Amino acid sequence: MNIKIGFEIHQQIATRRKMYCNCPTNYQEVPPNTNVCPICTGMPGAKPLPPNEKAVAAAVEIALMLGCEIVTGQTIYIQRKHYDYPDLPSGYQRTSLPIARGGELQGVRIREIHLEEDPGQYDPTAGTVDYNRSGIPLVEIVTEPDMKSPEEARKFLRTLVRVLEYTGKVRPEAGGAMRADVNISLEGGGRVEVKNINSVKGAYRALKFEIIRQKERLKKGLTVERETRAFIESQMVTVPMRTKETEEDYRYIPDPDIFPLILEESWVKEIREKMAEPPHLRQRRLTERYKISAAEAEVIVSEREMADLYEAVASEIDPKLAASWFKTKLKKVLNYMKLRAADVKFEPAQLVALLRMVEEKRVTPEQGELILRELARNPADPEKIMQKLGLTPIKPTELAAAIDRVITENPKAVEDYLAGKKEAINFLTGKVLALTHRRADPREIAKLLIAKIKKSDN
Amino acid sequence: MDGREEEIRRGAEEIIASFVKATEKIPALTETYYSLEAYNVVRPDGEPSPEEERATFRSRFISLMPKADEMGNLKVEVARWSKER
Amino acid sequence: MVQGTLEKLAKIRRGELSAIENVSSSLELIKKLDRKINSFIEINPNALMEAEAVDRKIKKGESVGKLAGLTIGIKSNINVAGLRTTCASRTLQDYISPYDAEVVKRIRAEDGIIIGMTNMDEFACGSSGESSAFGPTDNPAAPGHIPGGSSSGSAAAIAAGLCDICLGSDTGGSIRNPASHCGIVGLKPTYGLVPRQGLIDLGMSLDQIGPLSADVSGTVVMLETIAGRSDNECIMLNVDKLNCSEKIQDCDLKGLRVGVSKKFSELTDPRIMDVIDREIEKLHDLGAEIVAVDLPNLELGLSAYYLIVSVEFFSGTRKFDGRKYGKKIEDVCGEEVLRRILRGRYISQKEYRGKFYQRALQVRTLIKRELMAAFEKVDVIAGPTVPKLPHRIGTKLTPMEMYAYDYLTVPANLAGICAGVIKAGEINGIPVGLQLQGRVLGEAEVLRVMKALEATE
Repeated sequence: MNIKIGFEIHQQIATRRKMYCNCPTNYQEVPPNTNVCPICTGMPGAKPLPPNEKAVAAAVEIALMLGCEIVTGQTIYIQRKHYDYPDLPSGYQRTSLPIARGGELQGVRIREIHLEEDPGQYDPTAGTVDYNRSGIPLVEIVTEPDMKSPEEARKFLRTLVRVLEYTGKVRPEAGGAMRADVNISLEGGGRVEVKNINSVKGAYRALKFEIIRQKERLKKGLTVERETRAFIESQMVTVPMRTKETEEDYRYIPDPDIFPLILEESWVKEIREKMAEPPHLRQRRLTERYKISAAEAEVIVSEREMADLYEAVASEIDPKLAASWFKTKLKKVLNYMKLRAADVKFEPAQLVALLRMVEEKRVTPEQGELILRELARNPADPEKIMQKLGLTPIKPTELAAAIDRVITENPKAVEDYLAGKKEAINFLTGKVLALTHRRADPREIAKLLIAKIKKSDN
Repeated sequence: MDGREEEIRRGAEEIIASFVKATEKIPALTETYYSLEAYNVVRPDGEPSPEEERATFRSRFISLMPKADEMGNLKVEVARWSKER
Repeated sequence: MVQGTLEKLAKIRRGELSAIENVSSSLELIKKLDRKINSFIEINPNALMEAEAVDRKIKKGESVGKLAGLTIGIKSNINVAGLRTTCASRTLQDYISPYDAEVVKRIRAEDGIIIGMTNMDEFACGSSGESSAFGPTDNPAAPGHIPGGSSSGSAAAIAAGLCDICLGSDTGGSIRNPASHCGIVGLKPTYGLVPRQGLIDLGMSLDQIGPLSADVSGTVVMLETIAGRSDNECIMLNVDKLNCSEKIQDCDLKGLRVGVSKKFSELTDPRIMDVIDREIEKLHDLGAEIVAVDLPNLELGLSAYYLIVSVEFFSGTRKFDGRKYGKKIEDVCGEEVLRRILRGRYISQKEYRGKFYQRALQVRTLIKRELMAAFEKVDVIAGPTVPKLPHRIGTKLTPMEMYAYDYLTVPANLAGICAGVIKAGEINGIPVGLQLQGRVLGEAEVLRVMKALEATE
């Protein structure tokens, strides 16, 4: 079946002040209706302040990263889009004419990009409104309906989130800073728009639900009407919001209280020169330049700060060793500690020093991981961390003694191994590791254990 | 719609008709949306407004609300679509 | 006039008249006379306290602001923190403003004492002062007649001497029209000269706050207080401060070119034209050169204006949904307000945008060009303010008849220029005001002419 999926994605831009007033933007951290003023609550007579310049620049940068053509030299009005909803303090939302058009990401065409403002937060079931979020700058990204399955749509969104976060100019997706309206149509049915989607996961679930719902209807010979539905995340279903017989009339007018923008070529050029390399292009470059695998490069570019760290490290040490460490150990340690690469406090030089210790076999990879974990927690010279953790390399005689002792104390496991139970060696290795306070390389221990057991068996 | 509103609507449209008639012969021109012409008037991002200023406004705003909950949320209607299930 | 604004200010500064005395006498007059006039709909309970603070400063010899101790009435569509800023509508009848408009901040900074909120046509939608939810305002200069609108209360309060200076707002004549009918001085400043932050919207691209006063000096001192750029607003002229007191000392008008248009007499009651013509003759006597200017499409401004204002008003009233404060506007508003909302909703529909709204904006371009062309030849344009005399309160007018009051005032708003009004004479005791339109930022020239005329009285 032919399925067409498109998105209107709304992503919050990270600024200190709101788009049209000077209220702070940390809306999640404060009690309801705290970050508010007459402007963002729609008091009678309140007028917007001039637009926040940083938000305009961020939207342009995002558009450039998505390969769009910036609309320069033309009058870009900030328009009023009128509709009545409890979260909209003034009865209209301010949205710019397109600031950019015609981009592409992962085979999905980007139709246009707008600058918008967030409405307040309306809880539709409790019937409460909090305007702390009202007026946070947003970039709206409108795609063509180029995706053909929920999986494809999810993949696109994930990539998009990565690109957006790469700019360093947006709020993280995890905090609900990205919302999407998805439109989906099945062959033979009308176009359905689903609103109220607050995460990549939500988009995927809403699409899954919609496809099943629409297929069922079409199978029964019912029509799928053009309509707007809301996604209820807690129940993973969509429900009708309003029927859309004709295109809704938002009665757009240029906001008489805000002068229009004209983006200048030279300004756009400045942004282009300073902007970060988009992740999909960076991934390609990393594989070519450092001869690392695509899988490694993908992990490395997943966060801009991780890729920056990698490139700093790879210039000092074997890039392949570094890549494999980033993909396995570093990623694991950060995940375990629930840290993002941006939160990493240690210096690239400290990581280089650690990898050099591994390269010179002064520590085992496992010991290295312990040091890395400590490095992430309390940045320090890895040598010092090694000493602090008591990870000085073990003397061969000490290791041999430990192996002998373990073999003597665990005759059952030795028997099992000799009887063909190969996994018994893992048990014994663990014992030796514990006895030596993890100062020895487990692969080395296993090798020595096997040799010793075989020798005594003969 | 009651009679009053119908009459008001007719009155509202009267001037539209007279406008269309009066401007029949006017050539097409560019539209003047603003009394002043300027572009790219923006303000820098920066230090947010002082907390005390917002605290004062918050209490006044809440006292204006027809209904508020104890957290300071504005109380409004429950969305129809969230009930009709 | 008992005494001029400047004399009063000087007396207060010298301690000969205390701010408290000035405020008390204003409050007493309001109590005594305003039951009948109905120009104030809210009184500032802190006025005496604020006056006391000014007196204290004067006694201590501290410097005081340029409005020190004067009593100021504020039109009810300009936010004053703690006072009901109702727009004379049931929509906002319980709205106690949580913030000061920028102009109010500036008045307070100059030690002006806000005495109360004045009556007006509901949401400034009217030219008679009759559409207020708080009842109509009488015209103290011609009792039984409308005072004009929409700044009806502000003009009537000045005409009755209830306070020193008032603020009004002018979208299509709302300061000039009542100033003319009440025989006082009023000025609509150049669009973008006075901050609108805190002014409740009628037509955002046309609205401008301005002063009404008994003499030209009152208007000048208030204009100098409120004019100038504000960082808290986008749509403003890049003008720091306005200082025109010095430029208007001259009582002779030599070298000044005054434009007149035959269009005015085509649109205006001949009795009014007679008064205006005599006043223009005076300008000639004062040394001005009278120059004919061509304004061929002036009357098209009216319907274009009403289309534009309806769309902007529709947009600006969407916030009155009754959820956050007040009532839902459509549920409680009067006829004219509803008429404009419905009209705005109708013509802003996608299918009619080009035909009506954009077309009206093209006519606006035309009017603006014609006026700009005229100002190539002249410094000010002199003519009538209102084409007909004010009707008796309660007379039933059709909407079109009501709109016809605005023919001569809307062009200045469409073009964004400034325009002042000063009393030219009377017809059967009813005042008639001369309108002087000036260029963008031509306030000094307009006020100079007004001052010169005032001196001939």
